[in-house]
Formats: sequence, C-alpha cells, structure tokens
Amino acid sequence: MRKVLIVNLTRFGDLLQTSPTIAGLRAAGDTEVTVVVERNFADVCEGIPGVDRVWPIDLDALGRLLLADDLRAAYHAVAHELAALRAERFALALNYSSSRMSAVLLRLIGVPDTRGWSMSGDGHRLITHPWSRLFSASCLTRGQAAFNLVDHYQRVAGITAGTRRLCFEVPPAARSRVAVLLADGGVGPDQPLVAMQLGASRDIRRWPARHFVAVGRLLHAQLGVRLVLCGGGGDRPMAGEIVAALGPAAVDCCGRTSIAELGALLERADLLLTGDTGPMHMAVAVGTPVVALFFGPALPVDTGPYAADQLCLHAPVACAPCDHAITCLNPFCRDVLEPEAVTAAVIARRAQDWQGLEAAARRWPRIAWYRTGFDAEGLFDLAPLGGAPPSPAERLRRAHRALWKGELDGTSPRPVDGPPLAAEAAALRALAGLARHAAAQAARVERLAGGDADVEVLEAAGRELEVLDAAIFRHGAIHEAAAQLVQLHRFEKENVLGDDVAALARATRAQHEALARRARRLADLVAPRAAATATVEAGGIHAGVA
Amino acid sequence: MGDRLEQNLRALAACDPARAAALAAAVPLEAACMPAANGDPTLVADGVLLHSRHDPRREAARWALAACEQLAAAGEAEPTAVVLGFGLGWHLGALAECWRGGVVVVEPDDRLLRTAFAARDLRPLLARVALAPAHLDEAVVDAWRAPVILPHAPSLLREGSGLRALGERIAGRVALRGLRLRVLVVSPVSGGSHPITGYCARALGALGHEVQTLDLAAFAGGMDAIDGFSPKAHARRTVRQAYGRFLGTGVLAAVEAMRPDLVLAMAQAPLDGAVIEQIRTLGATTAFWFVEDHRLFPYWREVVGAYDHVFVIQEEPFLGEARRLARGGVDYLPLAADPAVHRPLALSSGEREALGAPVAFVGAGYRNRRVALRTLLDCGLRIWGTEWEGSGPLLDVLQRDGARIATDDCVRIFNATAVNVNLHSSTWVDGVDPEGDFVNPRAFELAAVGAFQLVDERRLLPPLLAAGSEVVTFRQAGELRELVRSWLARAEERAAIGAAARRRALAEHTYRHRMERLLALVCARDGERLRARPRRATVADAARLEGGSPLGCFLAELPPHTPFTLDGVVRALQARAGDLCEAESILLLLHQFDELYVREARQ
Repeated sequence: MRKVLIVNLTRFGDLLQTSPTIAGLRAAGDTEVTVVVERNFADVCEGIPGVDRVWPIDLDALGRLLLADDLRAAYHAVAHELAALRAERFALALNYSSSRMSAVLLRLIGVPDTRGWSMSGDGHRLITHPWSRLFSASCLTRGQAAFNLVDHYQRVAGITAGTRRLCFEVPPAARSRVAVLLADGGVGPDQPLVAMQLGASRDIRRWPARHFVAVGRLLHAQLGVRLVLCGGGGDRPMAGEIVAALGPAAVDCCGRTSIAELGALLERADLLLTGDTGPMHMAVAVGTPVVALFFGPALPVDTGPYAADQLCLHAPVACAPCDHAITCLNPFCRDVLEPEAVTAAVIARRAQDWQGLEAAARRWPRIAWYRTGFDAEGLFDLAPLGGAPPSPAERLRRAHRALWKGELDGTSPRPVDGPPLAAEAAALRALAGLARHAAAQAARVERLAGGDADVEVLEAAGRELEVLDAAIFRHGAIHEAAAQLVQLHRFEKENVLGDDVAALARATRAQHEALARRARRLADLVAPRAAATATVEAGGIHAGVA
Repeated sequence: MGDRLEQNLRALAACDPARAAALAAAVPLEAACMPAANGDPTLVADGVLLHSRHDPRREAARWALAACEQLAAAGEAEPTAVVLGFGLGWHLGALAECWRGGVVVVEPDDRLLRTAFAARDLRPLLARVALAPAHLDEAVVDAWRAPVILPHAPSLLREGSGLRALGERIAGRVALRGLRLRVLVVSPVSGGSHPITGYCARALGALGHEVQTLDLAAFAGGMDAIDGFSPKAHARRTVRQAYGRFLGTGVLAAVEAMRPDLVLAMAQAPLDGAVIEQIRTLGATTAFWFVEDHRLFPYWREVVGAYDHVFVIQEEPFLGEARRLARGGVDYLPLAADPAVHRPLALSSGEREALGAPVAFVGAGYRNRRVALRTLLDCGLRIWGTEWEGSGPLLDVLQRDGARIATDDCVRIFNATAVNVNLHSSTWVDGVDPEGDFVNPRAFELAAVGAFQLVDERRLLPPLLAAGSEVVTFRQAGELRELVRSWLARAEERAAIGAAARRRALAEHTYRHRMERLLALVCARDGERLRARPRRATVADAARLEGGSPLGCFLAELPPHTPFTLDGVVRALQARAGDLCEAESILLLLHQFDELYVREARQ
C-alpha cells in the first residue's frame, strides 16, 4: 500500500482543484491518500472521491496560542502533530501550498519523496519537481502562464491521463437542506435557477453589484429564471442591494449554506455566473456549467474552470493580469465585462448555443471569450471564440505551452499560429547566447575544481560565473519573453545543494545548457529561423541575434 | 594614641591596612563619648544621639532582634546583613550574637570610626563584622550575597554623614540585581545633548538591559524649516510648540508599542508635562537627564515636576530648587565619556598634519572664548567649530570655514593636538566664569582620549579630575598664554598627565558608570514597582521550564536574554550557521505561520 500525503492548506477551491489528482492517484491502485487540510475545510474533503483520510490541522487554535503569546504551547502542538504525521511513514508527499510555512512543514514531516515546496537542511527553499518549479515561475510571470493549476497538480503527482473534471459528491442531507432553503425562498423544485456568486477573496475580484442587478433583470425578463445569490456572510450587504433591486426574482442564500450545501445549491442551479472563486470550482465539481468572469489579477488559463465546455469571459486590458498585492484605484476592467455581454453569454451557454456564443464574441470584441476544453495531451486548454486572431501575448503564451510540453512531457512541439514575434525571438536567442557562455564558464570552473588549480584562480572563475548569471537575470527582467525561462532557471539553481565545487559546477553547467536549449527552442517557436532570416533580409532590425 | 585605639586599629589592619591607616590619620569628632546610665559609652554626634542614654546594650539587643527577623524573612538561604552606620558598634555586636550569617557595616565617616575605635574595645566585633571599603563601588556591592539592608536609624539622621545617599545607592544596586529593564531613550531633535543619547543607550545595553533609542534627529530639518513660515517670532514659537507636541505624540506611540519599564529623556527631548504624564499612565517610570546649565535653559522648571526621576549636572543651589519642584528624586549626575568613541588613536602623518596643532580649541564661538583665545594666535592655534562669525583675527585660524565638526573628527583632533584648551562657555563674562560649576563633556572626552587639556577652574571639577595630575587648570584667561607656552615644551609630562586622566576616566567617568548610578537611584526608589512589572520571558526562562527537551536544549544555546518571542528567537537562529535542528525548524514554521495568519490580528 503506497501512502500518499497531500498538503493543501489554502482555500476550499484549491482543495477541489486537487480532486483530479486524488482520482488519478487512486486509479493507479494500492494507494491510500491522506489530505492535510485546514480544519474549517475538512468537510470539503469528505465530498472529494478518493480521499481515504482527512487530516485536519486546527490553524485557528494555533493562532490563538500565538496571540496569547504561549509560544511553548504552540511549539508542542506542532511537534505533536509532526510526530503523528511522521508515524504514518508516507511514501510520497505532495505540497500544493506554495508558501514558506508549508515548505518548512514538509521538511519537518520528512517524507523521502517530497514534491513541491520544501526546505533544505540549512533553511533554504527547495522546489523539488519540475512542474512545481514551472508553476512557481508562472506565478511570477503570469503573462506567460501556460497551464491550469489542476494540470500542474496532476503532473507533479506523476499523472498524465487524469480526470478532466473536478469532482465533489454532494451528500444527500445537503440536498435536502437546500431544497428546504429554496422552498422557503419560494423556489419550487422545477423552477429554473441561475446562481450568481457575489463574493470574492478581494474587492478587486468582485464584479460590481449593479452589473449583477442588470444581468439579473435581463435574465429574469428574458428567461423567467430566478436568481439565487451565493456568497459568504460578508456578502450579505451586497446581496441585500441586489435583492432590493430585483425583488422576488432574487433569492438570497449568502452565508446560509455550508460548503456541502453550497455544492447542493449549485448542483440544483442551471448555471453559475461567477468570478474566479471557490464556488466556481464547486459548480464544475458538481457538474453545473459556469460562465466565469476574469478580470483584475485573474486569468482563465491558470485558474479557469477545469472541465470542458465552460465559458470564460476575460477583460484583456493592458494592465492585466495585475499583481495580487496592489490596490487598484481604477478597476475599469470590471466594466469591460458589460452586463449585456454577460447576459448574452449566460443565455447562450445555458442553451448550449455555441454558435450564439461565437456571435456574441464578435459583437463584444473588447472581451476575450473562451470555451474550455482539453488538448490532445489531456491538458486544459482555452479555445478562443469570435474568430479574432490571437494577440502577440497569446501567441507567446502558446509558445511557452508548446515548449514546456516538450521539455517536461516529451511532447513534440507544434508551431504556433500567427506572424513571427521577431523581437521576442531576438531576446530569446540573446538569452541562449548568455546561457551558453555561462555553461562554458561553469565547465571551466568544473575543470579547475577537479584539477590542481590555485584557490584564487578558482574563486576568480566562480566570480566570473556569477557575473554571467547576473547578466542572465537582468536579461530576464528586461525582456518579458525571457522572464519565465530565467525565473525557472533561478528556481533550478536553488535546488543545487552540496559542498563539492566540481559537482556544483557540473550541475550548474547542465542547468545553463538547459536554459540555452529552452531559449533556442522557444525562439524557434515564436519565430522559426527561416522567418527570422526573412525578416532580417526585409530590413528588420530586431532579429538575427543567434 | 591610646591603647584601645591602637589595638582596634591593629585588628582592622589585619584585613584592611589602608582603612586602618586612614583612621589613624583621621581627626576624631569634636563630640566626646559619654557614659550611659549603665556605664556603657554612648555618643551624641552632630546633635544626634547614636545610642541609648540608659542602656545601649539593651537597645542594641532589641534592634538586633528586629534585624534578625528581617533577615529571616528575606527568603534567601544565607543573606548578608548590610548595616548602614557604625555608631559605637553596640548594635553590630548584638547582631553578631544573634545572626550567624555574614555582616558588613557601611560607614563612610572616618572621623566617627576613629572616635568609636577610641571609645571601646571593638576587637571581638571586628573579628565578626566586615567594614566595607571607604570607596564603595558597585563591584563591592555586587559581591555581597543576597544583601539585606539594615539601617541604623540614628546614624542616618546625622546630616552630612552621606549614609542616606549611600544607602540609596546600595539599595538601588541590589534592586537592580537580575533585573533586565526595557528602556526607551528619547533624544532631543538636535543640540549638544544629542550624541549623549547614543552614549547612554550603548551603556545601558552593555549593562544588560534591552534598549531602544528614539532618535529624533530626523526631525531637525522640520524644526529648522519652521522659521520659513513667518517673520513673526510669536507665530514661529506657536508653530514650534505644535511641532514639539506632534513629536510628543510620536514618542507616545513608541512607548505604547514598546511598553518600556523606563523612559529616559535627554535634555530638550520634546516631551511636555502632558506627554510625560501619559507615559506614566502607560506604566513606565520616567527619568530626565538635564545636561544643561539651568541658568541658560530655564525650561527645566516646566518639566521637572512631571518626571519620576531627574538628574542634573549642577549641585546646590540648583539641586535644592529642582527638588522643591520635582515630584520624585533629583540627583547630581555629571557627564562622562564613551570609551568606545573617545579613545587614543594611532593617526597617520597625513591626519596629524590635517588635524593636529600645537594648541587647539574645539567648540562654539562664545564671546568669552573669542576674547581668551586671541592671546594664543601666535602659539600655533587652530580653532574648530561653529558660530565664529565676526571673530576677527581668529578667523585666520578657524578650520573648515567654521563647519560643524563630527564626533569622529573631534576625537582625531583631540588625539592630534599637543595642548587642548577646554574653556567652558559663558554668555555673561569674558574669560573664565567665576561662578562656573558643572563640568562639560569635553573635559571627560579629552580625559578618556588620554589627551592633555588646559581647563578653566570649575567648582565641581576637583572631585572628578585632579588638577595638576590629571588636568591642568587655570583661573583666569590671562594665564592661558603662559601655560600653553610652558606646557608645549613638556611633552613627557603632558603624556603622563593625559595617561592619568585616561585612567581616571575609564575607572570612574564613563557613561556606563553614569547609567549604573542612574539606574541604582531609580531602583532605590522604584525597584519594587519595576520588579513587579510583567516581564517578557527570555529564552533562559523558557529553557528552564523545558528542561532537557529538544526545545530546551536548543534554547539553552541561545544568548540567555534573547526575548522568547518568535521574532527574537528567529533572529537569533538566523545568526547561527549550519543545518537547522528540529526545534529551529518548528520555530521557523511558527514564525512563517504567524506572519501569514496572525500578525495582522495582533495589530
């Protein structure tokens, strides 16, 4: 029996996004899956098929000990939990929480095969799987994020042909309670319902109430549906505003359901209109179609609804995606997603009218419309609607996707449609040049370390290598096309441990060679060499740096 | 010399020959001993009856009984009885009979002791009771095991005995034992006392206390800019007061955040009575070191009444005036030097050429200095410092166009100069101020550097630095020229005097000495209250509770006074090298958890 530990101490949406991985692990047979989860979300795991054990960690209690300055008690609480986890002797640990805290935790649990964030013996971060490193690099270079989080999770777990949908089993009791709840709101068992998820983790991610009202009015008028408002207790003021505007057309269920009941509620609905939220994933997991709105820091590619035939509307404004940490003073992107367009999206999607959606996409070209699906390798993908050609940014993203599928999955890269991105290719080829130079220098260091070289000569060679690395990092900071490659390279460098200078130099050389190879391949994907040469002959000034 | 006296002195000489010699040379009190009703000698000294007129032994026995009860109640295994006042020793003899532990008697008055030594046979007493050294320093007090202070009340009633003040110092020193205070030191915005803030903070830290410095120098620019608001002095004054109140609000925020045990404000720190009172309501003890001339800076009248403890650099009549206004204690505390800053330096030839001179003065161009230094123009004089505009021929020897001289350069100048002139400033007299009392910081700084200085006579200088052997003094500015020329030719003697001054400064005149005394005096009055304040646990405390557990073993490796908080422990472990042990990793995990989930709730 292979015992697998999954650590996911984030929010319930992320837990649901782990469900395909859990299914894939169980499908491999003879596997017991334990999920470490924050106590408040333990009941989410009860509904995820394949979870053998839920290991709740009471973070609230730990926080109370620290607030009371009882550091010894907090220490012993953690030590006790660790001892219990170690006693399980897990064979594989998957850390799906990308935080320093979880890195330390995984180090302490000490599972030999630990993937995701962990920590070295002397306290440095380690990211111990190429797909984890790619995910972490993507978080820092969102413009080139090429894969959905769920696919990252699966690939880290070694699953390549996983379930193409999130999964949550609604307990019958939750269905009963929701039926009563809806009946109290005057909703009969056959009443068509469209659910609207109001809340979001941050204000920037919340679609304005007036837009929900506008959509609700139109939907009620055109379809006769009732609108069921979902959200947490904190969303009740917003719900009150919407109910006041929509009257009996709206049913306020904000803060009135458990997570399981939310699943039941969404299961009952015909469709969920939502931003990038946990309930979006719940709707997917219970099989309810979604129209998902992406604006601000949200991107449909990396956190989009993981199932086929979902609809994503994205506001592709110049500042998107914005940083999670900023406070935007003018979130105009929310208004790019006009209520009329969203209404048309909901109506067409509810009717599974993809032709209608294509037409809507053409009618509202400021919005980027996507139909979700999966590519030939089973990876989540977005098919643009409306027929507009992909933007240069989109093409660069696709090129990254093709590159990583080749590098990490062994898939043969397919050319990216569209005119060549000559400037990006030039930057990438320049990066390849820097990386080759650094690889040669690392080889020199390796030779010196293996021979009788003077310590000062060896140190000087090491310093030269550092200068080259600094140039590489600077190049990645300047050229967006190179940013993700360089960031991943940095994470890979972090994972090189040990004191043997020759071995370190050898590993460094291999990393620089990999960087050079990737940069060259990516350059060829965005601007094949023949095209680049043609551009030079035509008088282009950017291509040609080999 | 009588037999009795000689025998007693011989007994004392067996363990303290120096003290015995001092007593032998002392002049006895004018008052003579007289027989009590039971025939035992008693004494009235300075109008105070030191022992019973009827039966000194019986009185002494009652005193000793009470003292033994006090010693037993101390809760220590073997406390040391520290008796203040020798009298004629009756109470000491009685105590020695009923108390088996150590007994020390503190008596600074050699004349009284000599009188007592002549009055009765004290040899049995001297075999049992130790006489504390005449010069009672902290090291002597620290060596007493679990001291319990037992005042001999009549002895303390004698004016001029010095016993009360000595008793307070001892009590303060004892109260400080094992006490690690959280001290917030508040600087002025600018001015001469600003660098003293840093010296005090460093000294307090060296004494093992947790110190935070609130350096308000960053606000000096704002204060200076206020002049630009209005040409009207009244309006500027109003703005300046508002600015001061704004800074006071900031100080309060710092006090609220740190929750110090003690707030030490330096002269001109922007704290008014209202702010000081609010600091007190937050539980902190407040102290103020007024390092200025009370005649030139009368603002002290507005603030001394607010602080719990006030320290000044001048004695009577100012001390008495201040005590009448103060709510707590007012004590004399002269300035000092910081040996880490004010020290001998090996200068390059370039530095000597750039900064050295046969004779130099460093300081502001007060009128009395302009007049006095003119006589040295042909002696190779260099002047350093600000406010020398309009000083005529002195401008020819003014260095760096009268720019402010940083402390580091001052120290180099002191080192590089053969004869340093230290003339205290005066705004009302040319030359030497005949009423000059306090000693400026430069005197101590020059001494600590080991530099030779010519300093004007000051009333409070003699107990601090010895004229002739540690400094050379002058009474009138007219003496300067001759002194300079004479001493320029005596390099070896200058070096010897400088070396002696440095020895004295390091032994008695560092900011560490001053802060020890300051804290001892604060603790003498507020020691109980300070001890009762909630103490933040240290890693040593936690290690003790943890015993031999992995956490306890790890904590035992850290500096013992490290605060047992996540920030404190993580800071300490980050300073270590090598792989993390389990305890370190768990603490690191908790620190990360705290940052992610708890910190915001704590604020």
